[in-house]
Amino acid sequence: MNARAVPVWDLWPDGIEWQPMSPQLRTVWVLRSLLNVLILAVIAAVPLTIWLGWEGPLWALGGYVVLAGLRSLAVARTVKTWGYAEREQDLLVRHGLLTRRLSIVPYGRIQLIDLSAGPVERMFGLTTVQVRTAALASTTEVPGLDPLVAAALRDRLAVRAAEVREGL
Amino acid sequence: MSAEAGPVHGDEPAPPLAPEPYGPMPHAPSAPPEGMQRQRLHPLTPLLESVRFLTAVAAAVGIQMFTSRNFLFAIYAALAAAVVGGIASLIALQYRGFVIWGRELHIYGGVFTRSHRTVPLDRLQSVDLVRPLQARVFGLAQLNIEVAGGDGTDAKLAYLKHDRAVELRAELLSIAGRPGAQPRTETAEDSTEDVPAGPEPLVPTVTVRKLALASLLEALPVQLTALLLFGTAFAVTGSIFGFTKVATALWFGFFAPALFGYLQSTVSTVNRFLRNCRFRITRDGGNLLIERGLTDTSHETVPVDRVTAVCFDEPILWRRKNWRRVEVWTAAVSQQISVLKSTTALPVGGPAEVAKVAAEALPELPATFAVQRPPRRARWRMPLRWKRTGALLDEKAFVVRHGWWVNTYVALPYARIQSVQVVQGRIQRLQGLATVHAMSAGSVGHTAKAAHRDVEEAVAMAAELRRRADAAAALEAPRLS
Repeated sequence: MNARAVPVWDLWPDGIEWQPMSPQLRTVWVLRSLLNVLILAVIAAVPLTIWLGWEGPLWALGGYVVLAGLRSLAVARTVKTWGYAEREQDLLVRHGLLTRRLSIVPYGRIQLIDLSAGPVERMFGLTTVQVRTAALASTTEVPGLDPLVAAALRDRLAVRAAEVREGL
Repeated sequence: MSAEAGPVHGDEPAPPLAPEPYGPMPHAPSAPPEGMQRQRLHPLTPLLESVRFLTAVAAAVGIQMFTSRNFLFAIYAALAAAVVGGIASLIALQYRGFVIWGRELHIYGGVFTRSHRTVPLDRLQSVDLVRPLQARVFGLAQLNIEVAGGDGTDAKLAYLKHDRAVELRAELLSIAGRPGAQPRTETAEDSTEDVPAGPEPLVPTVTVRKLALASLLEALPVQLTALLLFGTAFAVTGSIFGFTKVATALWFGFFAPALFGYLQSTVSTVNRFLRNCRFRITRDGGNLLIERGLTDTSHETVPVDRVTAVCFDEPILWRRKNWRRVEVWTAAVSQQISVLKSTTALPVGGPAEVAKVAAEALPELPATFAVQRPPRRARWRMPLRWKRTGALLDEKAFVVRHGWWVNTYVALPYARIQSVQVVQGRIQRLQGLATVHAMSAGSVGHTAKAAHRDVEEAVAMAAELRRRADAAAALEAPRLS
C-alpha cells in the first residue's frame, strides 16, 4: 500500500476521534444486500429455468451464493469506513470504500435534523440521523446509531446550531 | 395577533406598518377577519389562464367544422363556451383575491377546494413582475412572489393591471422593509425602452446586434457538431445499407428523435435571445433590478444580500471577443427546485461591463482571477479542459473554473458556503488526487467543485474554506431566514 492510497480523512484533520457506528449496522446492511441479491437471483431464475430446464434454478442458486458472498464482503468492509466526529465548529462524516467522501457540516448552517428508522433498522435497534443544510445537495447522513446515542447527538447538534446561527 | 396591526376596516387596502414590528419572535399566521375587503384580480384572469385550453378547443372545433361543414355546430360551441365560461369565471372571481394584513399577504383561491395561502412578508425574497404575451395584449401583468423556505413557497398573483401591479410590488417590498424599491414612474406601457425611468442603468443596454451575434457564436459550435454528427451518421448508414428503405427506417427510428432534440435546442437558443433582448440592469438600494424581454417582458429583483454566487460564462467562440456572461445565483431563485435556474445579470459584455456588474452583485469582487490548475498528472483525465480548469482561494470568495464548451468561473463568497465535502474516487486515489465541493444554498447544481486537486492541497483547501467561512459568517449579522 503506497502512501497515496491513504484515505483522505487520515490526512486532515489531525487528532480526531472518529466515532464508529453501532456494530449492528453491519448485520443490517449485510442482510439488506443479501435480500437485494436474492431478488435479483429470483428474477434471473425465471429465464434460466425456461432456457436450461431444471438446471436453471441450480445455476441461479450458485450465482446467488457467489454474488452474495462477494457483496456481503464488500458491504462489511464499507461499514467499517463509516464514522463521524464532532469538532468544535462542525460535524464531520466520512464514508466510502472505493469512492471516499468526507463531509464537513458547520453547526451554524444546520437547518433540520431528522431521526429516522426503517422497520429492519428498528428490529436491530438502529436509528439514522439526517442533517440538512440550506444546500439541497448536501443531506448528510449518520446511519446506524443506537437510538439513545442518536437522540443525544441530535440534541447536541440542535443546541450548537441554535448557538451559532449563520444565514444562507 | 393584537390591535397593533393597524385599522382593520375601511377601503384603504394596506394597513400602515405597525410602529413596532413583531420582531423576530415567530408567530403563528393569523387569518384576517372575515369582513375584510378582499382585493380582486382583473376580470379577464380566468380567460387568460385558460388561453391554452381555449386555443385547443377552438382548434378542435375548427377542424370539426371544416370536416363536417357544419357551421352551426361552431356557433353553438362558441355560444356554449361563452355562457359556461362567463358564468364560471364570474363565480371563480368571487373566491379569488388577496389581502394585505399587517406584515402578511393572504391569497385566496379555488371554488370547490378553497385555498388560502399566507405569505409572510418578513421573509420576502423577491417580487418579480412578469408579463406573458397574452397578458401584455390586454395591458396586464403578473406578480411572482418568492419567500425563503422550502419548496412550494412561491406565490403568484395573476393578473393585475400593469400599473396596479407596479404599485403593489412597491408596496409589498416596502412592507418587507426593502426601502430602496420605490415605485418607478412608469406611465404608459411600452415606454420602458424609450424613457429610462428610475436610476441610470449600470451598463449600457446591450444592442440587439451584439446579442444576436453573441447568441449565434454561442450556438454555432453545438449546431455544427450536431450537424456533422448527423451527416456522418447518415452517410455511414447510407453507404452500408444503401440509401434504401433500411436507411429510411433507421433514419426515422433512430435519427428523428435526435433531430427533434436538436430542433428543441435551437428553439431554446432563440427563446433565450428573445428573453434577453432589451436587457436593462439597474441598482436600486439593496436590489438589482433587471428588466428584459422582447415578447414577454419580465422584471426581476435580485436582493444583493441574497446573492450566493456569481458565475462568469465564456462560450468557446466568445474568447476571441473577450466577452462574458454574468449569472447570479440567489437563494430566492434556487428555491424552484425542479429546474436549476439562475438569474442572468448580463447576457453579454466586455471586460469593463462584466467587472462593473460583478462588483455590484458581490461588493469588491474582481472579474478576473488567477486560478491554479490541477496537477499535471490529472491532465489525461481531461485533455481539453485541463488548461481551463482551476481553483483559487481569493480574498472574499472561493473561485473555481471549469468547462470546455462553455468555460465558467464560479465565485462563491466564503460567507455563503453551506457545507464542504472532499470526495476521492477510486482512480483519483491511485493518483493521489481529490475533489473539493463547496455547496451553496439552493438546488443540487449550486456547488463549486475544485476538481482533481492534489490530496494534501485538497484537505488543506477544505480546512481553509471552513476557517474562512466561519470568519466571514461571524462578520455578518445573523439572519432569520
